Amino acid sequence: MIQILVWGIYAGCIYILLAIGLNLIFGVMKVVNFAHGELLMLGAYAAFWIYTFSSINPYLIIPASMLLIALLGVFIERLGFRPVRGTGKLNEIFLSLGLIYLFQNLVAFLWSTNSRSIRSPYGDVVLSIGSTKLPLDYLIIIIVTIVFLIAFQLFMKKTTTGRAMRATSQNREAAALMGINVERMDMLSFALGSALAAAAGGLWLISGQMADPYMGGIPAIKAFAVIIIGGLGSIPGAIVAGLTLGIAENVVPFFMQALVAVFGYEMSFTGWKDTVAFFILIIVLILRPTGIFGEKGE
Amino acid sequence: MKLGRLGIKAYLGIVSLMLAVLIPLIFGFSHYLLTVLILMLVFIIYASAWNLLALSGQGSLGHAAFFGIGGYTSAIIANSLGISPFATILAGGIFAAFIGVLIGLTCVRLREWFLAMVTFGFAVIAHTITTELSWLTGGWDGIPAKKLIPVTIPNYILYEYYLVLLITVIVIAIIYLIMKSKTGLALEAIRENELEAKVMGINVTKYKLMAFAVSAFFTGIAGALEIHHFGYITPEVYGIDISFWPIIYCISGGLLTIEGPILGTILITLLDESLKNFGWTYERYIVIGLILILVVRFLPKGFVSIPEKIKSKIRLRRSHS
Repeated sequence: MIQILVWGIYAGCIYILLAIGLNLIFGVMKVVNFAHGELLMLGAYAAFWIYTFSSINPYLIIPASMLLIALLGVFIERLGFRPVRGTGKLNEIFLSLGLIYLFQNLVAFLWSTNSRSIRSPYGDVVLSIGSTKLPLDYLIIIIVTIVFLIAFQLFMKKTTTGRAMRATSQNREAAALMGINVERMDMLSFALGSALAAAAGGLWLISGQMADPYMGGIPAIKAFAVIIIGGLGSIPGAIVAGLTLGIAENVVPFFMQALVAVFGYEMSFTGWKDTVAFFILIIVLILRPTGIFGEKGE
Repeated sequence: MKLGRLGIKAYLGIVSLMLAVLIPLIFGFSHYLLTVLILMLVFIIYASAWNLLALSGQGSLGHAAFFGIGGYTSAIIANSLGISPFATILAGGIFAAFIGVLIGLTCVRLREWFLAMVTFGFAVIAHTITTELSWLTGGWDGIPAKKLIPVTIPNYILYEYYLVLLITVIVIAIIYLIMKSKTGLALEAIRENELEAKVMGINVTKYKLMAFAVSAFFTGIAGALEIHHFGYITPEVYGIDISFWPIIYCISGGLLTIEGPILGTILITLLDESLKNFGWTYERYIVIGLILILVVRFLPKGFVSIPEKIKSKIRLRRSHS
């Protein structure tokens, strides 16, 4: 049982990293980047290629991959989202669709659809606590996520830039009147969000998952579920919802199997794992159309 | 002036319809050509149905769910009861509409982003349910579906083409009538400003659900037509790309117009097919992705707005000189 919790927290960390980036971009720009999963995918590929050519410790590569994807994020914001900002929400959604098509197929074209993987240097190290097995990679990912979250929170609360970002997300016009360069805040938020997505992609890859051009889709839609459940723009909401979702999607199939077994049937529910997020999402939205921690309005 | 332009549009419609009827006679009964055209017609229905939902301000990212549900329903009923696909296509549409209303019920209160994500997620749920209920749906392998016109009939593809063309014309006519009716106006009012529409006495929930039902109905019919054309159905019909195609067609052609989805489907399909013949695989999706981005960026009203854009440019130049 605790074993399942460990998997849940590990998956939850990846969702949180994605969701925080999405939330930040939404907060500042009021844009939902549906191509966020593709940034995760590109982050994983960046980590893979740097690792292949340098073969240093893969965890040390992640900052480089984050930097690369952050630069890409700046380009996307400049050339894509900034010009269509404010022309209608549907347009922004459609622009993301174009980006999804572009990135997935560009990667497939350049590097084929073969799965890529990195062998983690700690792949064989498994910590045993009682009967629970905790791979060292999972522990590192959980710690790295916590470090990122603390650093992110400090940045938003303590630095001038972070304050300016929060001001922009609260009231764009007023922030602009106060002399904040709101367009620069857009750029920064997109760069930061992209970097977090790249970190999620790199960690996902190192922890033994495969990278292929279509890997971004499922984590991204789960991250969307996380930010809706947690409320658009709410950071604590994203953390709570991310962990809940990660745990729920591992626990629910397990319980279902046990439940059916009581009635004498034997059925596996692992195939339902990916739908758990959406059932939770739909239930939450029926009860509270703005999400659990969401504010009224948007 | 306005009447004159409408006249031109109607004229263009009649000419293109005549062209559609005559194409097999002009180019010969090429099996390949007719297959491409049949799929094009199916996607014209699909894109127009999606467009109708967008008219009410609800942009769905998971319409493949209705496409697949229509297809599976029709195939399963036709297989188990042994009746002709003509009747089951309608059943597929009706069941898709029923599911559409259920989804609509969760979506009516949601704003654009939430709606997009919920519909997106719904396609994933539909995919999982279909693969897990393998005793009914054949799981990952799918099930065979009856051909619309039995292959034993000589030149069956030609009859199939005219049949699908007829259905497409009927569907487009119905969607046109809905868009021009009071219902269409109500949907547009809801899209522009939901609160104001409510104040004006429009029953927002009723109209939004209606848009969902009608859109899902025609999408289900398109899905059923496609699978009865191919002769089999697999869970691939729930793919993200199937959800995205109608959006790409509508955006590139011209969102919220009757002719936009038709024009968009024709142009993008022709482009896609010719790039395919070039031997391009991923490259052609890169091109289509780029077109989508460029259209959203520079031509938000789609290809149908090109003549007007040129006109206003000429007018501008004249007024300068």
